[in-house]
Amino acid sequence: MELSAENTAIVLDSTADFPDASERFSNWRVVPLYVRFGADSYRDYVEIGPAEFYERLRTAEDLPTTSQPTPRDFQAAYDELAGYERIFALSVSARLSGTYESARQAASETGDRVRVIDTETASAAIAMLALAVQRRLERGTTDEEIDELVERFKRESGLVFTLDTLEFLARGGRIGRAAGWAGQLLHIKPILTLEDGEVLPLKRVRGNRKPIQEFAEAFRARTGDEPGLRVGIAHAEAEERMAALEKLVRDLRPNAEIEVATTLGPVVGTHAGPGTVGLFWFQD
Amino acid sequence: MNELELARVAETALERSRARLDDLNVYPVPDGDTGTNMLLTVRAVREALEAGETDVAHAALLGARGNSGVILSQIIRGAVEGFEEDRSVATALRRGSDAAWAAVREPAEGTILTAIRELADEAESRRDDELPELLHALVARGDEAVAQTQEQLDVLRKAGVVDAGAAGLVEILRGISAHVSGEPLPEAVEGVALTTDAIHQEASRYRYCTGFVVEGENLDRDALERELEPLGDSLLVVGDATALKAHVHTDDPGSALRAGTAIGVLERVEIANMHLQSAQREERLTHSGADDRRTAVVAVVTGEGNRRLFESMGATGIVDGGETMNPSTEDVLLAIEDTKAPEAIVLANNDNVVLAARQAARLANVPVQVVPSSSLQAGLGAMLAYDPLADSEANARAMEDAGSAIAAGGVTVASRAVSMDGLRVERGAYLGLVGDEPVAGGTSFDTVAASVVDRLLAEPRDVLTLITGADEPELGPLLARVAEQHPDVELEVHPGGQPHYPLLVSAE
Repeated sequence: MELSAENTAIVLDSTADFPDASERFSNWRVVPLYVRFGADSYRDYVEIGPAEFYERLRTAEDLPTTSQPTPRDFQAAYDELAGYERIFALSVSARLSGTYESARQAASETGDRVRVIDTETASAAIAMLALAVQRRLERGTTDEEIDELVERFKRESGLVFTLDTLEFLARGGRIGRAAGWAGQLLHIKPILTLEDGEVLPLKRVRGNRKPIQEFAEAFRARTGDEPGLRVGIAHAEAEERMAALEKLVRDLRPNAEIEVATTLGPVVGTHAGPGTVGLFWFQD
Repeated sequence: MNELELARVAETALERSRARLDDLNVYPVPDGDTGTNMLLTVRAVREALEAGETDVAHAALLGARGNSGVILSQIIRGAVEGFEEDRSVATALRRGSDAAWAAVREPAEGTILTAIRELADEAESRRDDELPELLHALVARGDEAVAQTQEQLDVLRKAGVVDAGAAGLVEILRGISAHVSGEPLPEAVEGVALTTDAIHQEASRYRYCTGFVVEGENLDRDALERELEPLGDSLLVVGDATALKAHVHTDDPGSALRAGTAIGVLERVEIANMHLQSAQREERLTHSGADDRRTAVVAVVTGEGNRRLFESMGATGIVDGGETMNPSTEDVLLAIEDTKAPEAIVLANNDNVVLAARQAARLANVPVQVVPSSSLQAGLGAMLAYDPLADSEANARAMEDAGSAIAAGGVTVASRAVSMDGLRVERGAYLGLVGDEPVAGGTSFDTVAASVVDRLLAEPRDVLTLITGADEPELGPLLARVAEQHPDVELEVHPGGQPHYPLLVSAE
């Protein structure tokens, strides 16, 4: 079957941090996760936006928690996209969230119309994969070509991020193999990545300028200055760092296109914490 | 004279000269403690022999403390092997000399190495002498060699002292010579009691490390010591008629405290459960998912706060010690074994610990790499690069690089008046160091600390870390000054609790 933007839809979950997806592409939908302060539950980006979330985080007595969408939430999105013969549901790493399972459970009742893909990553990286899928849909593609794209994305796309503190990751149980770095007394900036869908520690540095230097080193080592180099940047209350990263990309790789620049939403922000900044890249 | 007798004579000789040997330290900070290290090394041999150990070389190896102790242990090993060869003093000394020279990476003339080689030369030229005459001649040659060390080493000439290790070796020989010929030893310099830090090094089978100060009138040090003696080991009672400081490892801290309250008012009571401390460390380990780790880190650290800093960075073996109290090879070896990791890194954190650490690395059953970090600050910097999943060689490379990127300094209190490179510092005054170099001195902590910080921040740096010592200085003025003059530098202050250095500083 020939897949196109007319007959194929894309479903993201809100951890892709791409809230205006359905405004930009009529064949896209976003299924929100939930963020909970005490007894109050909010749909990510829909009922609470990043600005309000970080404001509330500052004063909250208990830190928020998050929960995955229900299968019913996904079912509703699939139903809404009734006019499409094929749906790709790109979910946040299954090792970080149960979202993938909800998406799959809902999909299992639709025959083979919905294909759920565990992106093994999070935030802007999911949006970048979705954009790569969309580019193929717009020129016409096949299931096989999408499969190859997803495999290559998992192999070749790059991601480094840093946090102000590992507390948020540790508390939410998403710290993965960086667990040994938690509870440090010195103010350490961890440089991390996601590998096989979970958090992997790369390096520890001290000082505010060091993380950006480390980002530059990793970015330079693993990319070339070619057209088609696509970059994403995401931050949580770290405008300055985001600006520094944008400059870094323009200086090092003038040919690169910054296709996603976003804040981390309430759900991702719950697990990463303020001060987080991430750099994503993919040659496509 | 059998081996045990020999060890006892050597121990007595070193006890008599320990204080003088310690005072020969080149630097005006309480550094090296050569006399203490040599004494504790020999004492470990004596204790092992009394406990039934027959392998003297092994006992010396495990008991070796500090660089001088390690070299001495090598001399002992070589001497034992040499003596077994042909029962001659000459061969024993020659083998001892060879073993000592081989043990040191960059051997220098003007040290204990020169002394042992010259003693071997002397003995070889007197193969027909009777033992008493030979020993007399060796002592004379040794004294000459010690006197010459001042001409051979620049640092010794500048400081006007002779080499402490060489002097210690000759003191052992002098004791043996006097014993053999039945002569009395020359009048000894007055001894000083071991510090609490030193006592803490010794492993204990008791549970509670108990310490207190008792204040009162007409306090009897010996009487308190007799009261505490039956309670445990590692006993230390020091002080005068108005205040005594006591320290004992015991299973019955209550009785120890009662012995104190019986004669005066207790102060500064400290009871630490030594077994619990290691149990807690183990528990932390299991909870941090450390099971799949390839390489563990053993760090030689002094001060409770510093211990916590290293543990929080992932070090799972902490050996108490540092500049003022060098751990023994055995201490390091036990810590390596305690980590139960397939490979290990040892962070020396002091130049005087490096040899003992290397010796422990050779003795260990698993691959061990020593990172010769020369300061606690460099060690912390090295910890940044520690990767539990990588092998010890990769870790050693990365950690050494990370550690050497740190600029380290500190403020200490001069243990005696010193004049170095035009800088005159009185005893008891603050002395500022950058690396090992004295850069400032005076009675104002703020002024001395400020010039250390200024030197460290002379080139652009991101983070300035201040680690306060057991004698915690008032940092307010210094912090205000740094914030004003170096607004871009991130400041961190941590309580380290190290002795002798009110402040350690690192810039990176």
